Amino acid sequence: MRVVDWDGEFTVFQPAAGKTHFLNEMGLRILIMLDQSPQTLEHLCQLLAEHFSLLPDESFMQQIQKTLYRFEALGLIASIHSPR
Amino acid sequence: MKVGQLSRKELRSRLSSENGLRVKFGPFIVRIQSFLPSLVDPLHRLYVFYALADDDIAEFHVQIVPKRSPRRPFTPLLQFLVDGQAPFPAAPVHQALTMLEWGINLAIAVRVNHFLLFHCAAVERNGHVLLLPAWPGSGKTTLCAALIHHGYRLFSDEFGLLELQSGHLFPLPRLMPLKNQAIDAIRNFLPEATLGPEIHGTLKGTVAHVRPPEASINREDESAAPRWIVFPKWIANQPLQLEEMPRSEAFLLLASNAFNYEVLGQSAFDAVTSLIQRCECRKLVYSDFGSVLAALNELTDG
Repeated sequence: MRVVDWDGEFTVFQPAAGKTHFLNEMGLRILIMLDQSPQTLEHLCQLLAEHFSLLPDESFMQQIQKTLYRFEALGLIASIHSPR
Repeated sequence: MKVGQLSRKELRSRLSSENGLRVKFGPFIVRIQSFLPSLVDPLHRLYVFYALADDDIAEFHVQIVPKRSPRRPFTPLLQFLVDGQAPFPAAPVHQALTMLEWGINLAIAVRVNHFLLFHCAAVERNGHVLLLPAWPGSGKTTLCAALIHHGYRLFSDEFGLLELQSGHLFPLPRLMPLKNQAIDAIRNFLPEATLGPEIHGTLKGTVAHVRPPEASINREDESAAPRWIVFPKWIANQPLQLEEMPRSEAFLLLASNAFNYEVLGQSAFDAVTSLIQRCECRKLVYSDFGSVLAALNELTDG
């Protein structure tokens, strides 16, 4: 993916779909973290909360879950089942 | 040789011939065929400065042909064709010129992919291009008409043709369709402008075309680098505002305004990124020609 930083907002080109996405820092950080390794929602929220110095409360987790659903619908990420 | 060097009789004869009238519009050659006598006078007057391209291969073959409609059997209608296909419905005979101009623009918009094609006006001053993207209420054609009669060179009132390799804009100085109140506004502000006939009852209301200045057409092969992107909006009685626009917002608006952004994929993404990085981006609100000319002169002098 091609990423361009516009003073804290990001344009991301997704070659496979030929689509351009506009993300804030949180959105980009989610993609970067999931690109490094798959994460559970809980662990991802914990990592993000640490990175942005936020409190990982219920509403934060709901926001991140919403963002993940949106990213999945756009084909930016895919959900996987954890190995047994 | 220019269209203006043909007599009306010669022009009519070419329009109705197999070879058609071959005209150069910027980087494109268009072959126009029509048997319609009423199209001859406006074309003779408005196409006077365009070069004939008799020996060049035409990219677009367009025709204006009579059409019978079973629903309106007694109304003479015309159909625009490009390569024999009708891209939009027939219209009354008096709308032949608007149909021809819109049809050629539509053909360019949907077929050209060797340029990144922005929906915007583009003018040049001091060697660099000022882009004026279209968005609702922008009044880009009206503003563009005012600018090209005050020291700006017309590139186009409809298309920004960005060459991907060089990052340069290419001129396409075609007729500029003013609509409704803009016609009188330009007649009053620019009595020296040459306008075609008022054509009533089109899908966009009354339309009259401004003929581009001869100097702009003579330099239609001279590209230039872009330097300013100004998103205009006309609002009655508003004081002028020319403010910096965040580059991320400019990217979003410009990319979504290109006709073939998705077709060109990553090349388009890179080209818009580079364009925004090289240009000063502004939001403009204006209501009168005097103050907007002064503000844009100041910007493009800087």
